[in-house]
This record gives sequence, structure tokens and C-alpha cells, in this order.
Amino acid sequence: MRPFNWIYSICIFFLLAVSIPGLAIAKLNVVATTEDIASIVKEVGGDLVDVKAIAKGYQDPHLIEAKPSYMLKVNRADLLVYQGLELEVGWLPLLIQGGRNPKVLPGKPGHLDLSQAIAPLEVPTGTLDRSMGDVHPLGNPHYHLNPENGLLMAQSIADRLHRLDPANAEIYTNNLERFRHRLQNKIAEWKAKLEGFRGTRLVTYHATWLYLLDYFGFESIGTIENRPGIPPSSKHLAELSAVMQQTGTKTILQANFYDDEFSELLAGKAQGTVMILPVSVGGVTEATDYFSLFDVLTGELENAFSRP
Amino acid sequence: MKFIKSLSLALACALLGQTAFAEEKQYFDNRIETLETRVKQLESEKAKRETATSGSTTATGLSRYFNPAISINGLLLGTYVNQGRTDSTREVKTGFKVQEVEMRFTANVDSYLTGDLTIAFEGDEVEVEEIIASLLISNRLSLRAGKFFTPFGKHNLLHTHAFPFIDAPLINEEILGEEGINEVGVGLAVLLPAPWYSEIQLQFLEGDNALFKGALNDDFLYLAHWKNLVELGEELTAELGGSFAYGKNDLASGPYNSTQLAGADLTFKWKPAGRERYRTFVWQTEFINSSRDVDKKGIYTLMQYQFARRWWIQGRYDFLTLPRDQVGGGEVAQDKHRYSTLLAFVLSEFSALRLQYNYLDQFQSENEHQVFLQLNFTFGSHPAHSY
Repeated sequence: MRPFNWIYSICIFFLLAVSIPGLAIAKLNVVATTEDIASIVKEVGGDLVDVKAIAKGYQDPHLIEAKPSYMLKVNRADLLVYQGLELEVGWLPLLIQGGRNPKVLPGKPGHLDLSQAIAPLEVPTGTLDRSMGDVHPLGNPHYHLNPENGLLMAQSIADRLHRLDPANAEIYTNNLERFRHRLQNKIAEWKAKLEGFRGTRLVTYHATWLYLLDYFGFESIGTIENRPGIPPSSKHLAELSAVMQQTGTKTILQANFYDDEFSELLAGKAQGTVMILPVSVGGVTEATDYFSLFDVLTGELENAFSRP
Repeated sequence: MKFIKSLSLALACALLGQTAFAEEKQYFDNRIETLETRVKQLESEKAKRETATSGSTTATGLSRYFNPAISINGLLLGTYVNQGRTDSTREVKTGFKVQEVEMRFTANVDSYLTGDLTIAFEGDEVEVEEIIASLLISNRLSLRAGKFFTPFGKHNLLHTHAFPFIDAPLINEEILGEEGINEVGVGLAVLLPAPWYSEIQLQFLEGDNALFKGALNDDFLYLAHWKNLVELGEELTAELGGSFAYGKNDLASGPYNSTQLAGADLTFKWKPAGRERYRTFVWQTEFINSSRDVDKKGIYTLMQYQFARRWWIQGRYDFLTLPRDQVGGGEVAQDKHRYSTLLAFVLSEFSALRLQYNYLDQFQSENEHQVFLQLNFTFGSHPAHSY
């Protein structure tokens, strides 16, 4: 073969290598930062989307590392959906930069910040600085734990899928309606389960559970981390234990990606019990999607509060 | 009889009152709940408005909206060395110093370019360490222009505050030089269509440093780096890289008028899924060979283990060699060995206190014991942590 032919065939090979994956997959490639978002995208997108989550449900979403293998996922995405409110601030900017995908840059239709759709809680007012620990200046980012926010997230995802894939808009609308209907029924069921326990007091490890407690009407009397992300002092634990005893609080709630040494210490002092629960879809094997996550959470809380 | 009648009447009234009261309570409870939700809603809306308006303009009426994100890092260092008490010109000497202060600015320039600036203050010197304009061309290609740390291996890319140990590896200090290969030029990065992360970077640089300073103005430095990263399960990654650099130098003509550098790096990183906060393990090894007037080559291998939320223990071995015959040292070995260990107490993402011990076993000089204590702190906008 002459050198010219060599160059020619190499060019053709590269063209094929670059173009074939694009042709073969007609589905929209969606990258979600968490499994909760991925689950809702699956509900709304159905068979028309191929969705991958970056943070697994059993991982602490604050501490994901910007692995180049995640950059590849971002590189191949048509849509990047994330939780926002600085939950992913330590790694998502690097994934977007390293993913070098013009479709998912901020401001592009392939870039979707779901926090724009919800009303955040715990938005700090007044002065704010790092002496207060890992504060989230835009509000508490764990909003998926209010199931009604799940509806708002789904709505926002559906709107964006309409824009990216107008030909299938009707299918996305139908999927959204089905999701809404099912979630509303489930919400009624979950509320009924926990209705009798409204006003129950508990202590949480980190402010992870704010939206869940707020929605189902539980009262948090304090957090073990008195400043977010900073291990507690023994003085703070002693004070918290005294408050628990005064108010008859028995339950300490913590996410399963934290060590339970401080929770167990407090439980020992205040004769309470520690509940370790998943925060996200995939956090435990039973929580396979957004619905079963709340099945697990409400079921566990009901069991714990029903105990004498 | 009359008594019983009036008693039952009273009882009935009481019961009725009670149910009426319960209904009323229910009504008010509901009202309170609705009002509470409403208050919360208003509060969050108010907070949103506040964050949106604060900091938009200054007293001069100039907008502050598009100011770059700024972060500042300080490195305070205390050193003890058992050698050279009388020699004040030594690089490593007993005493306190501000090792480095670094300011970093970053922002999008416009819809095409991203800008990065890093200024370092070291002693009474101020240096623009990096000034980069980068451009994304397609989803496989990106370009950068400016002055930057070049991707010759892993360590050369790091700013001082991100070094795994307080000092740089011997091969970086002695082969690449004190400043590393920090050059002015342009670079192209290509993401290859492979199932794993595979990237080639090609850079065309001025070549203005001790290793590559050519005799002519148009003697440039050419540099290439190939980076590959594979996931071995979800908790472990392996990175393999190769680097090559070529350029003219200002040594007399003949076999030595060009400098060639070749490097290889291998890194394993482990983080347990679900316990990211508490454990990490890194094993990194790098090899560099330099052919200039003499051949120099060396290797370092280091391990970092995070054994508790705030604690890291680390070890490193450095080795550097110069071939005997070319220096005229006869049968004397030209080798340097260095053994280092480090204990870090990481208070938070933004500050750490690190204690390091070095044992330096070097050719034709006394062996040295070095101890460093460093306070490393960062303030300003939240930095993203590169992998």
C-alpha cells in the first residue's frame, strides 16, 4: 500500500471511531450527580434516555472525587442534571471543565440545576463565614428528602427533556403525569403512616434530614455536629444529652456514610437509640428508586417510633 | 330523679363541649400549620432576594457581579537541619519562614475563554506562576495559552501548597530545577476515543529555563504527555502516564547541544465507598531520565494513608543517580538517597498542620537530618480538588 492510502485509511478509521457511537445510540445520554436524580430522570425519560449517576447512594455526596473516569461520562452526556446549592461544589466544576463537553456548560440547554425549581430551607441570613463550618450559603442542599420536591424536580427534568428532544415531548409529558400520580398516592400513604407521630422530637448527626423532618412534622432539637462538617466537642455532646433528657427525646438519626461513634456516645449518655438510614436511592439495597427510598425511610421511622 | 336528670344534662354538655373544643383545636392546629408553611416560604423568598441583591454594586457604582473567584493560600514553615549552621546561603536551613503565599483568581473571560491567574509571593520575590487563557474547541479538543506548569509527570503540575510532602521529590528539585518546568507557550489537549480516560497533551513552549535555554532565540521546547486512567472497581483507580520533552540547550555544540527528558508515572488511589471521609490510600511512583551534558536519572515512590478523619501518615523514598564514568569520580557512587516520613493533622478542608522528617544520604557530603513543620491554610472561595 502506498503511504497515501495508509493516511487515507487511518483518517477513515478515526472518522468511524468518532462517529459510530453517535449514530448507534439514539437515546439521550443523561448524567445525574446523584442516584435520586437518576431515578427521577428514569421515570420521566423512560426508554428514551440512558442515565448514569456519579455519586452512589451510599456515598457522601459532598466528598466525591473528580475522577477522570467521571469526566468521560460528562464528556459523552447530552444533559447534565445536578442537585445544586453547592452540594457538588468540590467536584462538579472540575468534571465540567475536564469533561470538555460544550453541550453541558453552564447556560447551555444540557446543563440543569434542579435547585432552581425548589424553595430551599435554611438559607443563612446575616454574616456568613467559614468559622461556622461547612455552611451552604445558598441553603440546605438535601432537598430531595421532601417528596413534594421530587415532583418539582421531575417537572423541571421533563421541561428540559422537551427542549432537548421535542419530537418525544408527548411521551415525556405522559411519563411525568404517571410519575406525579404514583408519587401523590405514595405521599398520601407515607403521610398516613407517620401522621400519628407528628411532633416527635429527635436529634440528627448532620443537617442532612432537615427536609424530611420538616415535611413529616418531626422536630429536631439539635445536631451532633454543632457546626456542619466539624466533629463535636464533648461539651456540646453533654449539653445535647441534657436537652434530650429534658425533652424526652430518644431517637438519634444519622446518615449511613458517617461513622456512628459520636451518635453511640450520645445515645449511651441520654439512653437513646441510634437510627442509621440511607439518604439517597441506592443507599441500601432495598432503596432501588425514589419511591422505595421513602418506603424505607418512613417504614424505619414508623417502626422506631412505635416501639414503647 | 331530678338530680339524675340534671347530672346527665351536665355530662352531655361537658361531652359536647369537649368535642366542640377538639374540633376547634383541630381547626387552629391546621391554621397554625398553614401559617408556619407560609412564613417559611416567605423567609426563603426573602433570603433569596437578599443574596441576589447584596454585593451587586460598590459605592462607585461599578458592578461587582463578574469579579473572579479568589482564593489565597499561606504556607508557614519551620525547619531544623543538623548540618550547615554557619552557612546562610543554604536552601534548607534551620529557622522560620513564609514558604509561600499564593493568590488564585479564576473566571470565565467571555463565552469562549476561561481565565486563570496564580501569583506567588516567596520571600521578597513576586512571580506570576500561572496566567492561562483556555479555550474549548470541541468535546475532544482544548487549547491553552499563557504561562503554566507543564504536564511533565504528576508532581510538576502541582502548586507548592498541594505537594504531597512539604518539599518536592529529588528528581523534581534536581533534574527539573527549583521552579519545575514552568513555561510560556501554547498547549493542545486531545481526549482520545478510548473506553478509559486517555488524553494526549502537546505543548510548544519558549524553553526559558536552566535545562532548555537554547543559544538561539528560535530554539523552542517541545513537550508531550500521555495520561491514562483506568477504574479498577469503584474504589480503586490506576493512572499511568508517560512524558517526553525535547529542546536545544546552550552548552557547546556537539553531542550535548540538546536536552531530552523522558518520564513515567504510575499512581494507585483507593477510597472506600461510603467511608470517603475516613480512609484514603495513595501510592505514587515517578521516574525521570534526563540526557544533557550528563545523564541524570532518578525515581521517587510515596505512599499516603489517611487512617482517621483528620489524620494522615505518609512515607517517601527518593533516589537520584549520576553515572560514575562521566563525572570523573572514579569508583565513587554519585547517588543520593532520601527517606521521608510525614504526619498530617488536617483540621478541615482549609487548614492542615504537617510534620515531616527527612534523612538525606548523599554523595561526598555529611548525611543530613531535616525536620519540617508546616501550617498550610487557604481562605476565600471554595477550591475544587483535582484528582
